[in-house]
Amino acid sequence: MAEHWSHPLDTLPFDTVPPAGHYGVADMTGVAARRIEGLSIATLAPARGAEAAITETMRQALAMELPGASRAVFAGARTLIGTAPGRWLALSSLDRDIAGTLRAALGPLAAITDQSDAFIALDLAGPKVADTLAKGALIDLDPRVFLPGMAATTVLAHIGITLWRREEATWRLLVARSFEAALLRFLVSSAAEYGFELDARG
Amino acid sequence: MRIPCPYCGERDAHEFSYLGDATPARPDPAAPDAQDRFFDYVYLRDNPAGAHQEWWYHAYGCRQWVQVERNTLTHAVAGARLARDARDAAGDAAGNVPGDAS
Repeated sequence: MAEHWSHPLDTLPFDTVPPAGHYGVADMTGVAARRIEGLSIATLAPARGAEAAITETMRQALAMELPGASRAVFAGARTLIGTAPGRWLALSSLDRDIAGTLRAALGPLAAITDQSDAFIALDLAGPKVADTLAKGALIDLDPRVFLPGMAATTVLAHIGITLWRREEATWRLLVARSFEAALLRFLVSSAAEYGFELDARG
Repeated sequence: MRIPCPYCGERDAHEFSYLGDATPARPDPAAPDAQDRFFDYVYLRDNPAGAHQEWWYHAYGCRQWVQVERNTLTHAVAGARLARDARDAAGDAAGNVPGDAS
């Protein structure tokens, strides 16, 4: 009879979010994932011809620089991510309503859509984050290439994500809420060899 | 195969979906031979061995249409630009290009 290898995914149902806990190799945490609750998220798209005016208003009203490429800009509790030409994601961990804040500042200059319930945000930290992501990513996430402040809207394990590197050893990603279980299954299995700590409480 | 997206940088072709030849221009529907021209425009495609201008949609990235020059013999990609920047080079009589809903 073939030997049975115990695998962390063996006991996890396909369709539910894995419970918090430690997975894979014991006594090591190469990757720690934490689900971020209470993040306010919105998309921002300028009206035709209003890009320069928005850049200036964001600078003056919110003291934030709109990134001109797929990068992340941080200012206090707020983050701006470039996702496409003339398209940004705005996030805040303090504002209850970042869409309202932007609407108040920009008025008719931009189309602003609340996305807070669309995405799950995961913080990833630890010495093996890049190695783990590399198993499912199609882009070069080597820490020497994908530097802090860089962002990418791309694919991880066939799932669309927006990923950015916040600091030397901390990454954050957004994934569509309905893909949370599938993405966490990928992280559980890919980070098992390094030890994976999942804190789902946020 | 990797495609140099003008916004996202070099990305795997799996992030894109392929539309096809970027050179056919939508004929003027008011032209006297419009029916023949539209037949060509809709159904007839060249099958060049070598350089080819084609539309790719960056579905898993910036969701932009990109015009890519690809060598059909080697898959070498010579360049890429956003469809919105390629407006002058390819489009219909009204200047529309794929993916430009504005």
